[in-house]
Amino acid sequence: MSDAVLVIGGGPAGLEAARSVADLGTQVILVEKRNRLGGTPDEAGYAALTPNFEPTQEALDRMRARVVDRPEVTLRLGSSVVEASGEAGAFEVTLEDAGGGRSTVEAGAVIMATGFQHFDPGRETQMYGYYEFPDVITLVDAEKMLSEHHFVRPSNGEEPKSVAFIQCVGSRDRRLGNEYCSKVCCGISSKQAIEIRRILPDARVYIFYIDMRMYGYWENQIYWPAQEEYHVNYVRGIVTEIVEKGGRLLMKGEDTTMGRPLEVPMDVIILAVGMEPSQETRNVASVFGVPQNKYGFVHVPGEPMDAVSTGVAGVFVAGAAAGPKDLEDSVSMAGAAAVKAVSLVRRQGAA
Amino acid sequence: MSGIPLPIVQERLERRRPAEPPTEDIREKVFELEAAGEWIVHRVPEPYTEVTTKYGRIKKIPHEGLWHHKSCGQCGHIPGYSTSIFWLMRHLGFEYEDPKDQTSCTAWNYYASATSNSAAQAAVALRNFGAAYQSEHFPLIHCGTSYGHYKDVREELVHHAELRAKVRKIMDHLGRPFVMPEEIVHYSEWVYAMRNEFAARQVLDLSEVTVTVHPACHYHKLIVEDAIYDPDIYGGQRTAVVTAVAKALGATVADYSTWFDCCGFGFRHILVQRDFTRSFATQRKIEVMVEEANPDVVLTHDTGCVTTLDQSQFSARAHERKVGVPVMSEAQFAALAMGAHPYKVCQLHWHNTESRPLLEKMGIDWKERWAEFEEEVSMLEAGEKDFLTWDDADRTATAASAGV
Amino acid sequence: MTLAAHTYTEVPYEEKLRLFDEMRADPRYEDYLYGCYECGICVAACPSARFYDFSPRKITQAHARQDVELVFEQLNDDVWNCSQCFSCTRCPRGNNPGGLITVMREVAVGNGLGTARDALEGYGRVVYKIMGTGTQVSPDMLQPNAFPDWGPHVKEISDHLETWRRALQPETLHTTTTAWEVDDRTVAELYYIWYATGVMEMIEEVDEGLHEILEDVMEEVLEEAGFDDL
Repeated sequence: MSDAVLVIGGGPAGLEAARSVADLGTQVILVEKRNRLGGTPDEAGYAALTPNFEPTQEALDRMRARVVDRPEVTLRLGSSVVEASGEAGAFEVTLEDAGGGRSTVEAGAVIMATGFQHFDPGRETQMYGYYEFPDVITLVDAEKMLSEHHFVRPSNGEEPKSVAFIQCVGSRDRRLGNEYCSKVCCGISSKQAIEIRRILPDARVYIFYIDMRMYGYWENQIYWPAQEEYHVNYVRGIVTEIVEKGGRLLMKGEDTTMGRPLEVPMDVIILAVGMEPSQETRNVASVFGVPQNKYGFVHVPGEPMDAVSTGVAGVFVAGAAAGPKDLEDSVSMAGAAAVKAVSLVRRQGAA
Repeated sequence: MSGIPLPIVQERLERRRPAEPPTEDIREKVFELEAAGEWIVHRVPEPYTEVTTKYGRIKKIPHEGLWHHKSCGQCGHIPGYSTSIFWLMRHLGFEYEDPKDQTSCTAWNYYASATSNSAAQAAVALRNFGAAYQSEHFPLIHCGTSYGHYKDVREELVHHAELRAKVRKIMDHLGRPFVMPEEIVHYSEWVYAMRNEFAARQVLDLSEVTVTVHPACHYHKLIVEDAIYDPDIYGGQRTAVVTAVAKALGATVADYSTWFDCCGFGFRHILVQRDFTRSFATQRKIEVMVEEANPDVVLTHDTGCVTTLDQSQFSARAHERKVGVPVMSEAQFAALAMGAHPYKVCQLHWHNTESRPLLEKMGIDWKERWAEFEEEVSMLEAGEKDFLTWDDADRTATAASAGV
Repeated sequence: MTLAAHTYTEVPYEEKLRLFDEMRADPRYEDYLYGCYECGICVAACPSARFYDFSPRKITQAHARQDVELVFEQLNDDVWNCSQCFSCTRCPRGNNPGGLITVMREVAVGNGLGTARDALEGYGRVVYKIMGTGTQVSPDMLQPNAFPDWGPHVKEISDHLETWRRALQPETLHTTTTAWEVDDRTVAELYYIWYATGVMEMIEEVDEGLHEILEDVMEEVLEEAGFDDL
């Protein structure tokens, strides 16, 4: 029997879960494979968050501050989960650190917050040439530049005159097997489009899309301002090929509204890459015997009313380990998972 | 250059993670059907070379003991193409079968006119595969369309039991075994697998020759996962055949912005609606190649593509378009590099485009070679011999004087 | 594109529906058509879309919407513009617009549609060649009157055809009326396939004259080979 909760993953979902468990007065062990907290937004160098443009590190710092230096939280950085046994109320979990050293921890409940990885555009059904052309970049590459408040052509360091986003890269594709929508890329691309227009007021920015996924307030917080204040050009029609011509990139698509093929030169093309389950999500799911869906994300049998219970009693999930999620989803799931984990642990304790 | 550390291509390639193929492997299904007693799988003979396809799967390319599934357009109109393939095989000392019991895949007609149906197309394919199996030689497909079409037929037969039953009944009636090969292999995949063998036997210096490559739609767009991709060629982002061979032979491969475009063959269009074909070939392919890459030669690996790109340039010149680049298959190019006779073997006189400046650049004395060819032709006309033999083909005045 | 309701009004709806159902009954139809989210990748990749008022996306959408009128219009006006290159199979939903067009063309041919006959005008000799001899084109088809835009080069080949064919090393290529030598048994097997799969019936619908010629040629060969249980 253990009255602690194990949180695996120190990104936004994991940080919120750990904080919530601690605030409820329960012991929490927070395991993170990197040597710092922050997860993918930190590792990938995200500049600002959607939709409020809050600088990423500021938001993460607030979350980090609430879990470090407090008696309820045991922090295990640079560690991964490699083995597990037991059941709800009494899990025994083996951790391994970077040097290969192993140790065991006990927990009554587990929260998987192991997140996602970005889609590798080299596998894309369309011909985007990510591994051929330096000026074809991903949303992640763009975030790194934007966090330094610059935006340039990687090939020559010059400011671009035309920038295009291509949506749904690695998502909504039966041929790839990633049939789902990655939910956040439309919002992130629009956010980045606005940031680019702020830095380069003379640049023309385009977004080529199939559908614009602007849920709830994103419609008026991001989409309408992008068009109305920043004059970002949204073109309905997706791109199939990127080649090089005259020192610039040439993209071939269809302008479906006008019903004709289009070919336009661009200086930088940003691929809106989607989400796939991270290697850690796959590993940890395997270790605990947590069923995964056909895409490799954690299966959540009780959706939509129970968004956090997995197929293994006592193991909960928060964030993008369960599929494409935005930050609101992730922190909401973290709270729900924390409550369920703590109640389980307390019920076992009382029995 | 900005001081910002940005991931560029090499770094990206180094960071790249391997990934699992997203689609089913049709070959597994082919073997399952054999285990269920549905057909015989014609195994790839040894020795074979392993190559990688689009999602990193391994494909087996056999070396010898092959059944040459010939191409109508090649054998009919550009016979130097087929002859060069045979010549390459002979020069590597490989035994092969050149069958008389082979029909056309009939796909050119099918894509042109639809005066056929999926059962007929599948029966034609499997009849050919059955004939190959009976000869104990593994089929090597010469034409890009035959290859793409047969990949499609394989999918249809695997997924539709009714179609399979229909075709099996026909094979039984014809007395042919019901066979599906383990791999469907295009000759350009064999050329890719053998490219270093060709380079080792190369006698010409091609370092001054610039090449543009045109990939056949039916090779890499029909059933996309079954086409050769090589991480060393185009970062594994485009199909590697032809380009890999040209590079192995030391030529410079120049890129152009309509690389992915179709040549405009159109199947029906090139025969009865040629304005489309010649316009497309000229405006989307040849002119772009000339303007952006200025190649000495255009290389491709399919019958229809060679025909289209080669034949469309005449009328384009009459309209003063910027054309005038020789076109040939990579098989002919490799053969030339290894010292094959441009007229007796590569039969370049059947091509429409002017290839003599290219031959000069490659260090070939075309005047002498043409004289040799004309001499052979006069012997044929005078009845001194019936046909040109393989020995005749390799005999040149220079070789003779060198005592070879 | 004009409003479909205004075209082909002389053809009854039942006939258009019958043809549409014939397309849907093809076993390949469900492999070629999933949903369409109108992304336009197929049009972007399509060579015919650049030269003709042709859109693989609109054809796929018409099928997805089961728009019988529009499909009939496309069956007559659009399908013969497709170059069957299959660049459109890049579709992320897994659709095959080129494949849908192949199915549509077979239905057009098999039902003897006037527009199919028009599209295949002048093509009869090629059908004869492939169905009757086992190779699609032959050296003796390289005549200046058949390919005037290929230039005087064609005449040169045609003048030297017989000797130039003998100047080829591969033994199977010493032919002028076929691309390579096809043995008699193989030709008979091919004829059997055309009959057994219903292709001859399709030819009869779209070109009666050609059908008669082919029948004449094939009858004797099939009898000799013992394939007369058709």
